[in-house]
Amino acid sequence: MEEKKLKVGFYGITGCAGCLLSVIFNEYELLDIVQLVDLKAFPFIKQVNIDDEFDYLFMEGLVADRNDLEELKRLRKNCRFLVALGACSCTGCVPAYRNYTLKENYEHLLYRKQAGVEDLKPTPIDEHVKVDYYIPGCPPDKKEIVAFIKSVAMGKQPRPYESPVCVECRMNGNQCLLDLGKPCLGPITAGGCNSVCTNGGFECWGCRGPTKDMNLGLMVKILKEKGFDDKFIQDRMRTFVGLKLPMLEEIFNVKINIP
Amino acid sequence: MSRLISLNHITKIEGHAKLVLGIKRGKVMRCELSAVEGSRYFEGLVRGRRYNEAHEITSRICGICSCAHVIAAISAVENALGYSPTEQTNDLRKLLTLGERIRSHATHLYFLALPDYLGYESALAMASRHKADLESALRMMKAGNNVIRTIGGRDLHPVSAAVGGWLKYPKKESLAILKKEIVEAKKDALKTCKLFFSLKYPKFDSGAEYFSLVDSKEYAVLEGKFTSQHTSFEKWQYKDFVNEYHEPRSTANFVVKGDHKYMVGALSRLNNNHAHLSRDAKKMLNLSRLKLPSTNPFHNNIAQAIETVHCMDKCIEILESLDIKNEPVEKLKAKESGGVGCIEVPRGTLWHEYSINAEGIITNANIITPTAQNLLSIQEDIRAFVQSAFDKPKKGIILGVEKLIRSYDPCFSCSAHFLEVEWT
Repeated sequence: MEEKKLKVGFYGITGCAGCLLSVIFNEYELLDIVQLVDLKAFPFIKQVNIDDEFDYLFMEGLVADRNDLEELKRLRKNCRFLVALGACSCTGCVPAYRNYTLKENYEHLLYRKQAGVEDLKPTPIDEHVKVDYYIPGCPPDKKEIVAFIKSVAMGKQPRPYESPVCVECRMNGNQCLLDLGKPCLGPITAGGCNSVCTNGGFECWGCRGPTKDMNLGLMVKILKEKGFDDKFIQDRMRTFVGLKLPMLEEIFNVKINIP
Repeated sequence: MSRLISLNHITKIEGHAKLVLGIKRGKVMRCELSAVEGSRYFEGLVRGRRYNEAHEITSRICGICSCAHVIAAISAVENALGYSPTEQTNDLRKLLTLGERIRSHATHLYFLALPDYLGYESALAMASRHKADLESALRMMKAGNNVIRTIGGRDLHPVSAAVGGWLKYPKKESLAILKKEIVEAKKDALKTCKLFFSLKYPKFDSGAEYFSLVDSKEYAVLEGKFTSQHTSFEKWQYKDFVNEYHEPRSTANFVVKGDHKYMVGALSRLNNNHAHLSRDAKKMLNLSRLKLPSTNPFHNNIAQAIETVHCMDKCIEILESLDIKNEPVEKLKAKESGGVGCIEVPRGTLWHEYSINAEGIITNANIITPTAQNLLSIQEDIRAFVQSAFDKPKKGIILGVEKLIRSYDPCFSCSAHFLEVEWT
């Protein structure tokens, strides 16, 4: 039976390690997953990592410099299916918000140039390589990771969750935060998180990315009516998924030059 | 020689690091430890954002310390706006911080440190012969996770903590369940102490200055003065005491006090705060036969094990006294101001500082992580350790160096397989 197990690897490029931790924080179920697959590589917790011919390779993090890009391209060649694990990998997350902040905000931090390390435009991995599956979220729901692994191990096709956060939020019986005047992005954001933030009283910031059929224009209009200014709305919407919302430029009639 | 540059701002690291050791004729000529993580410029990202957005953004600096960044950012903003949180809010923040420490120490001790000592490549590889130990680790991680999820709303990047209070309060019933779980997990923490006391640690003395917060009332968590065996200062004085020293090849800054290296973390806290340990944690300290103060970084593992017992006792104590009242979040009035937040987090002391303008927009930020403070110590310790171990076989030296680095529990121990040693 051993040879039939899927060969799996977990890797990270620039990120916070939170997605890899989400795998580990499955506690006892971590041991089940390990039994279910042939864990070839997980450098975060393994010293011996066999770096070839993965069936599924889970990649945390975004491309922020040349090293990230090289590692990503090398690993893409070594796997049948590449899974973008978490928001950095799927959408660029907070680090890619740099594309929308003024250079003067961070240029005083650019001392790293001295080291000859080349920063790249912070981008999700699908701007560089083909991605087969996405497990979104910052962090991703740890149970979703287990469900994904279990389903591919059984030869089933994992399906992304497509309804907005509002659906789960309603089912959880929460009071609508938009109604309370909070800038909640639940209506335009893909759920599957069990509305974990709004359950905790915190408005949705959109970390799982836009739903396919969102009405972004209406969302902007509602937030404006609630008294939020243009800058705030754009900043908030771009914090986690800026690069996936290029249509904001049209809505606000601004042109953003990303180098 | 590297140039000495005083920089006021740092960008964060997490994840990947590299060591270059140059050795010639029995002398360490080069010893360069560097983080090789892509830059994320968090301090730049919060500029231009509202004061109550900083914690949600900076939380993303680190997965394993996300609660830490949330609380430190909130404290700094509140400090700027002249607000003191209520006792209940403080208790909830403490629970979040302690829960995070429990899970972080358990993860580090068992998943990153222990395999080196038992001769395994990973904790997972220990599953067949050390199943009970691994299960202890998972139970403690679970207890820590549950504290954070119950109090903060989510395992990582908690959502319920806010500037001015708490967004959603946990239910009484879930607090009772939580307490029960911690009482159970404490048995594992006591076992962990005994296991880690039984390991053989290399003899080594770094002679470092050890800093942590020291609070006259308790084992420091959120309050206190930043204190070492030699000196002590208030949070707001940090710019006069802490200098940032930039290593060009690394994303992180090495931070030195005056011209000294210093260390932060569990061992520093234990050295400075052991009189405030819980009763059972004190018992464990006696059992360990650890002589305090210790400046052997390998003893950090022992300190983490003892702290885990203490943190559980402290969580239980808070949970027993907590009688949740529905306090609304205080809406703070923006004003031109600056504030410092400084708290004890799993790997040591964490600093956040923000400047805010009259509209409530952040105009400047500075963040100093524990690992950034420890980097210089780690590097200097490696140099001394290698120098003293030349008679040993190469493989043994490398394992020793890896153990030494991991004992500090730096954030980049995240990649267990990071050591590329160049012997020249």
